[in-house]
Amino acid sequence: MATATCPPASSRPDFFRFVACCLAALALLSAAGGAAARALVLDFERLEHPAFVVHDLELTLEEGGAAARLRIGALEAGGRRIEGLRLQCPRFRLDADQLQCAGGRLDVAGLSGVAVELDARLAARSGTLRLELGDGEALRLNAAADGVLRAELRGVEVARLGALAPLLAGWQPAGRIDGQVEHRGARAAGRSRFDLNWREGGFSSTDGLQAAEGIALRLHGQVDGRAGGWDWQAALEWSAGEAYLHPLYLTAGPRAQLRGRLAGERLRIDEATLELDGVERVAGQGEYDLAAGRLHSGGFGIARADLAVVGPRYLAPLLAPAQAEGLRFAGHVSAGLRVEDGRLAELDAAFEQAGIGLEGGELAFGPVDGALPWRAEQATEAVLSVGGGRWQKLALGAFDLHARLHGPQVAVERVRIPLLDGALVFDDLHLRHGADGWHGSGGAVVEPISMPLLTEAVGLPPMAGVLSASLPGMQVSPGEIVLDGALVISVFGGYLQATELRVLEPFGVASHLYADIDARNLDLAQLTDTFSFGSISGQVDVGLRGLELARWKPVRFDARVASSPGRYPRRISQRAVQNIGALGGAGAVAAIQRSLLGFFESFGYREIGISCVLRDGVCLMGGLEGAGGAGGGYALVRGGGIPALNVIGYNRRVDWFELVDRLQRVTESNASPVVR
Amino acid sequence: MKLVSRLRVLLAALLFSLAGHAAAQNNLEINTPAISALQKSMQQRHAQLAPLYASGALGLARDGTVALRDASSVPLAQRGQINALVSAENADRAALYREIARANGRPEWEADVRATFAQRWIDRAQKGWWVQGAGGWVQK
Repeated sequence: MATATCPPASSRPDFFRFVACCLAALALLSAAGGAAARALVLDFERLEHPAFVVHDLELTLEEGGAAARLRIGALEAGGRRIEGLRLQCPRFRLDADQLQCAGGRLDVAGLSGVAVELDARLAARSGTLRLELGDGEALRLNAAADGVLRAELRGVEVARLGALAPLLAGWQPAGRIDGQVEHRGARAAGRSRFDLNWREGGFSSTDGLQAAEGIALRLHGQVDGRAGGWDWQAALEWSAGEAYLHPLYLTAGPRAQLRGRLAGERLRIDEATLELDGVERVAGQGEYDLAAGRLHSGGFGIARADLAVVGPRYLAPLLAPAQAEGLRFAGHVSAGLRVEDGRLAELDAAFEQAGIGLEGGELAFGPVDGALPWRAEQATEAVLSVGGGRWQKLALGAFDLHARLHGPQVAVERVRIPLLDGALVFDDLHLRHGADGWHGSGGAVVEPISMPLLTEAVGLPPMAGVLSASLPGMQVSPGEIVLDGALVISVFGGYLQATELRVLEPFGVASHLYADIDARNLDLAQLTDTFSFGSISGQVDVGLRGLELARWKPVRFDARVASSPGRYPRRISQRAVQNIGALGGAGAVAAIQRSLLGFFESFGYREIGISCVLRDGVCLMGGLEGAGGAGGGYALVRGGGIPALNVIGYNRRVDWFELVDRLQRVTESNASPVVR
Repeated sequence: MKLVSRLRVLLAALLFSLAGHAAAQNNLEINTPAISALQKSMQQRHAQLAPLYASGALGLARDGTVALRDASSVPLAQRGQINALVSAENADRAALYREIARANGRPEWEADVRATFAQRWIDRAQKGWWVQGAGGWVQK
């Protein structure tokens, strides 16, 4: 065996000088003739072609040049480096005009046993390389004399790219690629055109949070080498498949047009337009850091997005994933966003007849019109005109909202939300969004709302009076709203005042409300008439300490109802006596002078007193202080005048739900009570 | 300490009830109505979460939340629904930690309650479930 070394890297030999060197070596081999020189080894440190560079090439010519083996340390092409390439050519031919490798076999990292056919015309500086990669996979490379390189791909498995490009390996790329790539001109100043179709495509990050399946996607465009970088433009058509890009689930349909520049690790997008279902136009630009894998800076604009389409698909999973399925959207929004250093820096949204609400109509706002500008580092003002809303059974009127925004802070000087004939007014609201949720403070006022309208709206029996509230010290923290002040309802000739109001976990299953309620001089005639409880004349004071409502139902309180001090007529009807008795459960009441019940429609009384301590679904009942009855009973009504009647309760532990059920039956029933 | 003993009972009640032990129901009397509501909500959701813990799609994170750690086994179209499920579960868990701290009259202990629960969820996780330790995710 003989060894020849062609000129070193410093002399920058080109590809065709390499071929000339090989020819010389081959001639040497032929001239030597003897068996000892049937094989010849050629070493090259570096070879250059406009489209590729080869390092550490070793060519072994065997059988007098009729067969060859090639080993390449590294091949650089298209900005990528492939190492450890081996090629065997059992039928090799090299002469002044032609280089051929027939029935060849190529092995390289991630590819083995590739069938190779090479036919190069040296004088014309052209040739064709055909690689059969496997089942239906083929790659055909053609180099023309004018420096044009063409690659045709047929069914090439994308998984191979994972092996060739370590960056892709973690994404488990799948599917096949068909198409063409053409490169014309010098390596750094040429033009490449590409038209590639990815079918049965997919990928998945290791945690499955970025993944796609069944993808059919066409990517076509061109790349121009200029000033040390690449100007590019591309069109992308996604025609089949689905993807999950956490937290968004996407399906085929979008089409995009993009152009920009690639320089080093910076991919610049000068203009991108996207056709997306439900959006008139999406356009953007930006700069992507390939090394860091993040958007360095960028912005995009969305023109007239139909919220009914984009709301459930894109907004709900991003903004409120826990409630995503229950949110309903309407109207349109246009928006502009700007990202700086990987963070959202600016957002401008314009709403057009927009609406958002919870399924079932528990809470809804809209239509909303107006603009919401937001800057991370600058104060802005949002002006929204809200056409109305709904909270539970209450319809909210139209209102304007002026909010000052600054980074995570929102301040509202005053917002007045009409509610029936009054309004809910918030003053000096200052909220700040932290890692754990919203914190802030403000004041709230309920401008007088007439009770007849309110009770009608919420489906209660009609009541006269007015509801108002002054809650100047409102504090908001995650899962808690504390309302310092008082809510006052003038009702039934007296008034009811709620203080120490606290709303906990307002948006979850554990939503509950605490309050202390004091009522004074409630006119029993109005009260009992309203709830069809029979008829009682007189007044009562009510104390409801430590009231806790879970989902608007009482679960805990210390309640006491007692006759108000003062002089006023005190009569109680036969039916009301029965009903009070019924509160204590069947057979729980003993009426002194029971026999009188059947003879009189009403009775005089001196005092009424009932207490209930509600704990764990049980009401611990009590009556008038210091007025126990015989046998451990307690007096609920102490008689007075003629005829007089005492009502005594015996059951001290009453199931709360049973009590409520009885009250409902009593008040709903128009039947005359049965006196036993 | 009152908190510790109460926590122990609450934890036992919650964990046993989640595991389906009816015998522990009696201990729930000490719960506040809000804790009961949260527990009921979490119990109902647990039937959907359990197979996802078993498949490794979800794991118990060291901050007391449930994390979507490997969604690969879940069909793409359902990954969003599972994210919604996880978000709802984590909202309930955050409320639970706050409520238990409040029920003890010490709302500032929320972080301690969270840390205690996180460790207990991890300790009581079934074999084969993924839990997050100081060094990352491990399968029990």
